[in-house]
Amino acid sequence: MMYSVKRLLKNALGLDIAGRTLAVRPDDTFLVSYPRSGNTWTRFLIANLLHPQEPVTFDNIERLIPDAEAQSSRYLRGVPSPRIIKSHSYFDPRYPRVIYVVRDPRDVVLSYYDFSRKYRHFEDSYPLESYIGDFVNGRLNSTDWGTWGENVASWVFARGARPGFLLLRYEDLKAGPAQELTKLANFFGIAATPELLQAACDRSSADRMREMEKTQGKDWVSTKNKRDDIPFIRAAVAGGWKSKLRQESVEEIEAAWGNIMTQLGYELVTRQAEPVDTQLAGVTTPGDRRE
Amino acid sequence: MIQRLINTTKRVLGHTSQGRHFEVFDDDTFIVSFPKSGNTWTRFLIANLLHPEEPANFGNIDRLIPESEELTKNQLARVPRPRIMKSHEYFDARFRKVIYIVRDPRDVAVSQFHFFRKRRRIADDYSIEQFVTRFVAGETCDYSSWGGNVASWLVTRQNSPNFLLLRYEDMAARTAAELTRVASFLGLGVTPELVAQAVERSSADQMRKLEGANATATVTKNSRQDVPFVRTAKAGGWRTGLPESAVQRLETAWGPLMVYLGYELMFPEKVATSDLPVPETLLNGSSR
Repeated sequence: MMYSVKRLLKNALGLDIAGRTLAVRPDDTFLVSYPRSGNTWTRFLIANLLHPQEPVTFDNIERLIPDAEAQSSRYLRGVPSPRIIKSHSYFDPRYPRVIYVVRDPRDVVLSYYDFSRKYRHFEDSYPLESYIGDFVNGRLNSTDWGTWGENVASWVFARGARPGFLLLRYEDLKAGPAQELTKLANFFGIAATPELLQAACDRSSADRMREMEKTQGKDWVSTKNKRDDIPFIRAAVAGGWKSKLRQESVEEIEAAWGNIMTQLGYELVTRQAEPVDTQLAGVTTPGDRRE
Repeated sequence: MIQRLINTTKRVLGHTSQGRHFEVFDDDTFIVSFPKSGNTWTRFLIANLLHPEEPANFGNIDRLIPESEELTKNQLARVPRPRIMKSHEYFDARFRKVIYIVRDPRDVAVSQFHFFRKRRRIADDYSIEQFVTRFVAGETCDYSSWGGNVASWLVTRQNSPNFLLLRYEDMAARTAAELTRVASFLGLGVTPELVAQAVERSSADQMRKLEGANATATVTKNSRQDVPFVRTAKAGGWRTGLPESAVQRLETAWGPLMVYLGYELMFPEKVATSDLPVPETLLNGSSR
């Protein structure tokens, strides 16, 4: 009862977390991904691209690109248009423009495991192998984002083909950030000079973000009061699963989402891939990266 | 200001509907569809199967199979569990067990057009071409477009054992057989007699009679009484009710999805340029 009064009072005052109740504006752009897929990095890249006069930090990122699932309704109402908003939501047809970042689920699960320990969702002794099962079957701390497969498929295949949707792969961002950043610049309709792109990349590098996390992490809404012995900015590499995941775990993930992974260009190692749907070329084959 | 105070007070007391944001339980089952796809009929069929002692009508259906988005928070809290509820929502990850009804979008568009006339949301001189343009853009309701709604469920849940896909057209052609599938999905032991009775009690004729007898029920309240809620209840009406340009517009938007669902296209050559290419391998092979 007390809890519900507290929540209603928060609602009345607009202090509730916006989340899926967010009032969407027609000129909003959303930066969406499943958790642990490079969203924060992309957020820094975009903010640095759009605000070259103000290097992005964990202290100002919530002002530049607010987090719909960490900020209140009132806070988001106060953000001037056109807003760029970060979200982990699965398919929401109200979002007018969407940048969707996808990452190999075999890497996502490793990162999510560390993140969950940082957030004290479970003890260090909870085995990674058990967590893989939770991850694949949706037995997660929160159902807010769906499973990796639900989140990715609902966006890419129910929304991806219509205008106002940009799909980026974390792996492509790692391999050639300037090229992917050019796509982002085009999406926002800004002229990207090589100098601007370089500055945005440098200011969003994993090293720089790690340094900033050390001093600003205790105040940032996403890392405040969380374990500080496990960093939020982790390895920042693609393919870590190859040495860190057991064969059974890889099998479990590929059995669940092999078809989605294949459509997105992630090569399977434990099973035969179904042919890629050619009709989808251009939607699921990000950018110029045609194989 | 006063209105805002009233609304807040109502919300505090649980007297308002929470829309999409109501509490979902793991043992809930949802009957989901885009609007005008046979949801009310399916609701009647299932209610009549579950409650043979109390034939479903427009007065008791909201109690027998409540509509999650319409009930107030307090009403929802009183629904006994496990709940079977009706919904029009696009993909919602919290819904664990889902019966999804899909219907040929060309018929859905015609049906929604008439429904909007009934609700006085469009005037009698509003053309169906204009309507179909808005329908394709997903601007006719808050549940995404037809393609967005259908695809969002299929690509995420199609192969889950907790997902049952029904086609309105199959239900119309062989109601008892489809209802038997529903019964087994719900884990109900049913006899052919019980199924036959539920089919009979939910027939279009019967439902039209019930609609006439209960014109103030939730689904039809405050709407034009000269346009019925239970309409033709037939598949393929679009062939006479929809101009070719509108058919083409719908098929261009969702061709591959329609083909996948077994809806034969009038303009198959347009599919190549469709807005919504959902990969068949994904529909057939992804699961959680």
